[in-house]
Amino acid sequence: MNVLQRRKWQNIGRFALNIPLLLIILVPLLYTFAISVMPPDEIYENHLFPTSVNWANYILAFTNPAYHFLRMIFNSFLVSTSVMFAQMVTCSLAAFAFSFLEFKGKRVLFMCVLATMMVPGEVTIMANYLTIVDWGWLDSYKALIFPYMTSAMGIFLLRQYYLTFAKELYEAAKLDGCSNIRFLGSIVVPLSRPALGALGAYVFLNTWNQYMWPLLVTNNKNYRTVQIGISMLYDIDAESLGLMMAGVIIVIVPSLSIFVFMNKQLINGLMAGAVKG
Amino acid sequence: MAFALLSGVCFANGASETTATPAAAKRSGPIELTFWHAMGGVNGEALVSMVNEFNKQNEGKIHVNYEYQGKYDDEFSKIQASGGKYPCDIIQVYDIGTRYMIDSGWIVPVQNYIKKDNYDISKIEPNIAAYYTVDNTLYSMPFNSSTPVLYYNKTAFKEAGIDKAPACFEDVFADAAKLKQVNADGSVKRYGFGMGNYGWFFEQWVGKMGKHYVNNNNGRGKDHATAVEFDSNGAGIQILNVWDKVLKEGIGPYLNMGNEDAKAAFISGNICITLESTAALKSLLTNVGDKFEIGVGYFPSINRNDVGGVSVGGGSLWMMNTGDQARMDATWEFLKFMISPEEQAFWNSKTGYFPVTVAAADTQTFKDNIAKYPQFQVAIDQLHSSAPQYAGALLSVFSESRQIVQNYIARLANKELDAQGTLDGMVKEINKAIDSYNLANY
Repeated sequence: MNVLQRRKWQNIGRFALNIPLLLIILVPLLYTFAISVMPPDEIYENHLFPTSVNWANYILAFTNPAYHFLRMIFNSFLVSTSVMFAQMVTCSLAAFAFSFLEFKGKRVLFMCVLATMMVPGEVTIMANYLTIVDWGWLDSYKALIFPYMTSAMGIFLLRQYYLTFAKELYEAAKLDGCSNIRFLGSIVVPLSRPALGALGAYVFLNTWNQYMWPLLVTNNKNYRTVQIGISMLYDIDAESLGLMMAGVIIVIVPSLSIFVFMNKQLINGLMAGAVKG
Repeated sequence: MAFALLSGVCFANGASETTATPAAAKRSGPIELTFWHAMGGVNGEALVSMVNEFNKQNEGKIHVNYEYQGKYDDEFSKIQASGGKYPCDIIQVYDIGTRYMIDSGWIVPVQNYIKKDNYDISKIEPNIAAYYTVDNTLYSMPFNSSTPVLYYNKTAFKEAGIDKAPACFEDVFADAAKLKQVNADGSVKRYGFGMGNYGWFFEQWVGKMGKHYVNNNNGRGKDHATAVEFDSNGAGIQILNVWDKVLKEGIGPYLNMGNEDAKAAFISGNICITLESTAALKSLLTNVGDKFEIGVGYFPSINRNDVGGVSVGGGSLWMMNTGDQARMDATWEFLKFMISPEEQAFWNSKTGYFPVTVAAADTQTFKDNIAKYPQFQVAIDQLHSSAPQYAGALLSVFSESRQIVQNYIARLANKELDAQGTLDGMVKEINKAIDSYNLANY
């Protein structure tokens, strides 16, 4: 068997293994979509595919005045993107300090940052809420964005990545009179695109999926985000699975597309810095 | 959990430093009211159209802004968290939040307005009003009320030669045996009976026996409940024995916490009898379609001779004490509108909650609806045959208590505990929750 043939067989084997796996992973998603377009009496009849396609649930979700999906998608986009960019900036600045700069108490400070990762979000949510109330920030984009503008996880991720950079690079730049900011902007950031991309996608998805915080700090429907929208479609006494699943699909499409676009970065990036070479 | 704990602490603070918003000296334009609700799906759509109707009728005078605040639990956590800051004028709270709201000191009992306005309280269905009445004071306006009922697969009943709905568990066991179908290999093809692990049913059975869930007159006396009573009055063990029997003798499968799985199993025809809220009738009918006919019966009692009745679940509308007279007056107008016969008939036809107003029965909307869904008449009969004295318990830690009951029944289903062990465990935990709440708040 020559090399070409072997490669071909390897490929076939890979597909034979991956396609069933892919189907298993995708079934819940496809089934969700199928339910959202099924006529209601088919949902409980163990159909995997609808016999006829019915878009009524989508139309209802977008047009009924009780829901405001377009506005909510816009809000979620605005908030998630703002948080994403904010974290990219703050985390790369902090990570730069923790990796390239030498200053007193650097280790202790870094440990303090890491320690915040050990505190679960549920513990701080009430304190944050009371602060926001005192500042009169309820019902504003600020309230949704500001508390999440940096994260220990992001600082840690980027710092690990920056540690893989040769120290000589920084020294050489310094010798040539390059300022820290310029070094960060024109050398570190371009070189750490995978890690930044991974951080971005991760933060975007996390923010997109937030439920409790947006619910607490917003009342007005003009500031509501998509996850609250999904829960609006649900009612304990009068559930309509089709409508709920339509909501899930509407909400999942943007976050899924982010993942598809940033797939490469996400996978490369999360591995980056895991092993310090 | 941490969230619930913290909000409990906030309540303790909030109640002491109640700051009322000063009344606006001069007003321009309509009075703006904020209405927090927890209705999603079809119910939310119906609610929104009622509010819009009110706004249309009161254009230029009052404008109500509806704000969805998550499911009952989320909404309740949020109002607890916001302490005495009055973020809204009207809030819809679920039945089991009633005691907490009364104790909070943030609200105006609607009774005050009933007196001031000479509103005829007999317009409200007495068995529904009874739940929200403590010490002869109606605290909140009943709004979305439901009771549990028994749903059965009428088609399967006919095939098995059963001609009426079971009235008690003895009947359920007998019918279920006839309805059960077993495959050739011994696996069960269809169960006769099945119910979700839902703490609400437990509470209902205690009331159905005419007994109390907690002490101090079921938490409705001058003093707060300090311990559960279903252990000492024998109700708890009887209920758990029935539950145990259902599971152990294969009368019904264990259908997980909440009611989703039981509903799905009933719709797909895998169980023939189930227990559910009256409010679920509509969604059951839509989902079952033409597959089989649905029958409705009274919520079955544990023993044949039980003398009590069912109590209402669901939610009511509370008027917040905002300290602004004009806004509270406007709130009263809104509450009156929401329980007016036409609106209640509309609400009933769209959702399956009871019309809380007696006169709603005379409207055309209601008559059309009952002609279309004759099953609903059973629910109404059941409500009328109950008595106000079985209005059900009031307890500040009711949501925790319900959760504890469900957790222990799950352990019973796992065969970790026997009926007595289950009872002992839940009693101990609920009493602990009551103690720590009372210690912190009274």
